[in-house]
Formats: sequence, structure tokens, C-alpha cells
Amino acid sequence: MTSTTAILREIAARLLSSGAVEMVIGFRQGTIPMMNEPCFVRKPDEVGHLVWDSHCGINLANYLTDRKEKIGIVAKGCDSRNVVTHILENKIRREQLVVIGVPCRGMADKRKIAMKCPGEILRVSETATAITAEGEGFSRTFEKADVLQHNCSLCIHRNPVIYDELAGDLVEEQQGVDRYADVRAVEEMTPERRWKYFEDLLAPCIRCYACRNACPLCYCPTCFVDESRPQWVGKGQDPIDVRTFHFLRAYHCAGRCTDCGACERACPVGINMRLFTKKLEKDCRELFDWEAGLSLEARPALDQYRPNDPNDFIR
Amino acid sequence: MRMLLIDRRAWEEGLKRAAGDYRLIGPVKEKEFHSFRPLAAGQLPDFAFQNSRLSPKHVIYPQTEPMFTYTLEETREDRHLLREVVRDIPPTAVVGIRPCDAKAFVLVRLNFDTPDVQDPYWLRAYEATTFIGLGCNAPCGSCFCTTAGCGPFHEEGLDLLLAETAEGFTAKVLTAKGEAFARAAGWTKPAPEGTEAALQELARAAEGRITSFVQTEHLKSIPVNDLYHAPFWDEVSFACINCGTCTYSCPTCWCFDIQDETRGKAGVRLKLWDSCMYPLFTLHGSGHNPRGTKLHRVRQRFLHKLKYFVEKYDRGIQCVGCGRCVRLCPVNIDIRRVCNMMNGYAVSGEACAIP
Amino acid sequence: MGIEPGRLHFSWISSAESTKFVTVATQVTEAVRALGPNTRFIQPPLAEVA
Repeated sequence: MTSTTAILREIAARLLSSGAVEMVIGFRQGTIPMMNEPCFVRKPDEVGHLVWDSHCGINLANYLTDRKEKIGIVAKGCDSRNVVTHILENKIRREQLVVIGVPCRGMADKRKIAMKCPGEILRVSETATAITAEGEGFSRTFEKADVLQHNCSLCIHRNPVIYDELAGDLVEEQQGVDRYADVRAVEEMTPERRWKYFEDLLAPCIRCYACRNACPLCYCPTCFVDESRPQWVGKGQDPIDVRTFHFLRAYHCAGRCTDCGACERACPVGINMRLFTKKLEKDCRELFDWEAGLSLEARPALDQYRPNDPNDFIR
Repeated sequence: MRMLLIDRRAWEEGLKRAAGDYRLIGPVKEKEFHSFRPLAAGQLPDFAFQNSRLSPKHVIYPQTEPMFTYTLEETREDRHLLREVVRDIPPTAVVGIRPCDAKAFVLVRLNFDTPDVQDPYWLRAYEATTFIGLGCNAPCGSCFCTTAGCGPFHEEGLDLLLAETAEGFTAKVLTAKGEAFARAAGWTKPAPEGTEAALQELARAAEGRITSFVQTEHLKSIPVNDLYHAPFWDEVSFACINCGTCTYSCPTCWCFDIQDETRGKAGVRLKLWDSCMYPLFTLHGSGHNPRGTKLHRVRQRFLHKLKYFVEKYDRGIQCVGCGRCVRLCPVNIDIRRVCNMMNGYAVSGEACAIP
Repeated sequence: MGIEPGRLHFSWISSAESTKFVTVATQVTEAVRALGPNTRFIQPPLAEVA
């Protein structure tokens, strides 16, 4: 058991016993290696279910949408930024929440680890800085920094931005991170090359919508892809329809995405659709000096007009 | 049943020969995982895999399948008529399909081929296809086929079963379709006596390597309303994000949706994979949806596979234990856990009083 | 997205700015004509789908 797990359980038990919250949303031990399951606990004697390790990559802000209870929510840096976004967008009220912040050192990329192992991984254990994967006839230990999810290795907000409780000491934020090397590489392509690049990127998509549904921003009662009168986008495997879905989804996240990586993590066929949302994140940063979910006081970039908004593209 | 011996050379040459008579489909590694794809001329299926990431159900049952076309162009003689699209399906062989995925087609057939109604799209493809199975020597840790009515060398649904050996393969011919394929490939060398026993030994060893199990013996007898009203659905469904990963990766999920797509005055009516996880699933014309919430949808998925199917067909569960949904669910909802919860669910006297 | 830059134009034209409208419309038409027919986000005819 990690010390974070112990602290989380202690906090959860206290909040539930005192009646400060009706439920705590966190993670419980998964049934297969490198997977934990989002869960809730309602009674102090159930807090033993809660765990924390490097496999808590799903963004828990997703589970707050329109809930009515008083909730204790376990939140790493990115989750807390999406909690802020949820509050700004009126999907939950601040007064309903006790944010249990978890300073985060990044989540493990289960695919990266699997690809570095010679067989199926049957057991995984970890220390503060290393992850060990074992299977039949092999055992491999990795520096955690080498097997982080890509978004985590580029993260500059590991500490929760709002919290009422803290499960562990704040961590040092990563400095001098070049967040957008991959986006720049795409920006530099010719339109032809870029078209082809996205075609290859999206070719494996089966339109299961795991990326959309894992995303805390995607809470529309009816998504545009599900509209049938009129039908905005075809529902089959047509590559243009697939591309339209991905582009439009990304645009709906403009100025809201925190690059939590839930979309990429959830994808069953390994598509890096974060390239799209990151491009918009980069634009928001460069054009509006905006990073999503950092403050409850500021209105999001696409939510307000400022006289000095860039408008060179309008003739 | 005839047993054949196929050495490496006979394997490669046989597939080349068979490609003259069959469209060959097999596991191919694309980027990080295997998929079932048509094999190019001379391309061999890549058997260095435990199983494909997604099931090969798309071979018989494409995710998007045109059923009809129509036009509203008044100058056309066939205006306002639905014209059936008949897919040209050459004789096809799926080489290297795992026994679990082949058994899945047998279960899916129960839905698409009934005494009253036959789905011509599914049946045409199924009947044109020969299934060359590959026994599973090293099942995954999350495979639970042996307790899901299947097994690593299960023969149901296969036309020919291959077992990999040091020299190549031994093959067990199971049906006339399998016999025809072996003939087309020129695989005629009979296996020496004792091969069948060796195959059984391999199967036993593989079964012994299965480490994951489900309990299903009570599913049939527990009253459906008890399971429907069981208190655990809130907890089971909490993590679900209602994506379609489980249903799309599942070899036995058969639900489909029908949608028209139009451009200008022409249109096509498509049969598309549906998913009980989606908000459009069972949405009524009135706007009402009897499965309107996440809890309803998750319960529908598990009750369908583990209860309604069991009751309706009496053929076990609608699952072959391939473990894909367990491995791919982004939030770790595990059908093994849910199955065992359902199977172990006994209603107390009080809970029976649910109105 | 892979759309050629010259294919997408933004302009803000008041209903009083008729001459600006003419100028912009002409420029847009010329820029797009120079690029030739669009090939992106064009779906095949349904006959091919079926």
C-alpha cells in the first residue's frame, strides 16, 4: 500500500464519518495489471477499497457531472483543473465538493510498458521512482519517468490547483518542458502531408467514442454524432465522417482541455487524438495567454471578449 | 476425423495454392497489435500473437454494411425503390482464427438464422467462409474460455483445427468445408498414429494454463426480476463511461442499428454495429428510452449476455471468454466479476418484496 | 486539418460596406479558383459506398 493510499483512506473515513460528504469518488484496485477502476464509497468502513498508484489515469471529474450529493473527490493536478472547469461551466457547485488533492508524479503508460516487455504482463508493482512488470519467465524494472503517459511527461501542473484536503506533500513542478514539439512538427507539414498524416493517424478508429466519453468535457446531453434529425455526420466507417467526428470533438474542447490524457488512455486502438486538442491548447496559450482550469476567478478564453483579442485573420 | 501433418514448407505452399480458390484472411500485425485482414498475395498470416486486439467478427458482420440504395431522382426509372445491395462474397477462409472467436459465430448465428427469420447479409458471408482455427497454446491471463463454454482447442464453429508444433502444424479436419480447404491447399499427408492423442494432450495442457474463471451454474435459475432489481448495479455501472469499446471488441455482440445516409437525392440504407452503451440504443420514436441511464445500459449488457440469452437459448452464456472487454475497458469494468456477482446473487426474503 | 490556407477566409463586413463586400468576394473567388477544385472533406458518391 502506498502512503498516499493510507492518507486517502484516512481523509475519506474522516469526511464520511463527520458527514462532511455523502460519498467519496476515487479509485479501487483493478482486476488486471495497470488498471484501476473509478469507484465511490459511501460508508467509513468501505474506505479500504480506495487505492492510489501510477494507474489512476482516468479523469475523475468525469464522474461529477450534474451530481446532487456532497462529494469528496480525489483529484490529481489535471483532475482538479477539470473540476475547476466543471464548476465554471455549472456542472457541479463548489459548495458540493471537498476536493482531496493528490500531488501527482505522473501516470504510467500501460501500452508503453507492455511494448517493452517480451510477454504478457501478469503482475506489476512499484516504488516511488520505479515500476516492475512481471510475466511468465520475465521481470522488467523501469524508471517511472521513462514509462509515463506522454501527457504526464509534459505536465506542468502536477499539483492540484484547488483542494480542501491534501493527500501528501506538494511535488516540484517540472520546469523547462517543451509541451508542443509534436504539434509544431504537424504545423510545419504541407497541407497535403498533414492531410495524409491525419488519415493514417485515424485509420484504426472504430468510433467506439471511448475518447469522447472518457473526457470530462464531453457531457452534452446529445452529442452531435448522435443527432439523427438532422444527421450532422454519417455513422459508418467513412474516413471523412471519422475525421469530422475527431476534429469537431477537438474544437468543442478548445480552451477547456487540460491535456489530462484520458482520451488517449481510453482508446482501444492506440490513437493519439491528443494532437488535435493540444493544437487548440497551444493556440489558446499563444493567442489568449490562457490555460484551462487554473482559476475559479478567470473566465475561459472563448467565454469572454477582450478588445485586444487577436483578429488579424479577419479582413 | 482425419488428422493431417503440415510441415513449414507445405504450410507456405499450401496457403499460396489455396489463395487461388479462396480469399484468405488472417492475423496481421499493424503497428502495435494484430488484426484480421485480407492477406496480400504471398503474405502469410502472422501467428506470433495471443489474440487479435479486436475480434474478427467484422469478417462476417462488417461494422458498416450497405443494405439498400435508393434514389428520389424523378427522371430515374428506379426512383422511390429500395434496391438490395448484394455483397459479392467469394469463398473465404479465415486462417488462424482462435477457437473462442469461431465459437462466437455459432452463438451469433442463433440470432441471425432462426426458423422464422434469416438475415441474408450475415448468412451469405457466414456460409461462404471456412474457419481454419489455431489452437491456443498460451492463453492470456484474462482469458476465461474454459468456464465460458469454450476452450483453447474448442472445435465448435471450426472447419479445421491447427496445432502449432516444432516442425509446422498438425491439422484436424472437422467438416466438409475444412476437407475442401485442405484439398485446395494440397495438404494430404496423414499424420502418424497418436497425433490425435498428442493434440488432446496439447489441449489439456493449454486448459491447465487458464487461470481465470467464471461461475455460471445459477444464472439460469435465479429469477430474472431478482437480478434486474439486484442492488449492485449502481456500484457495477458507476465507473462506466458508456463508450462502445466492450461491445465493439466483443465477438458475440450482435446488435445493429439501421440508418439512412443521403447525399442529394441518392441514399443508402446502412446496417451498423450498435451498442447497448449508446444513448440511441432502443430510443423510441416518442423520445422515450426504456434504457435511458447509464445504469440501465450497463445492466442491459450484462443481463443480455448472462441472463436473457441463457434463458432464451439454453446454450450457456453469450460470451466465449476471450477476455477482450476485460483488457480493453478503459475503466476496468470486468465481466468476470459481474458474472460471479450475478451467479452468487441470492435474494433475501425482504428483497423479494420489491413491488 | 490539411485544408489549404487559401481556402478559408474570414471577414467582417457591415451591411453598409458594399464595396468591401465586392472586394472580399472577388478576392475569395480568385484565391479559391487558383487552388483548383477542393479534394478534402469530399465524400465519394453513394454509388461507390454501396
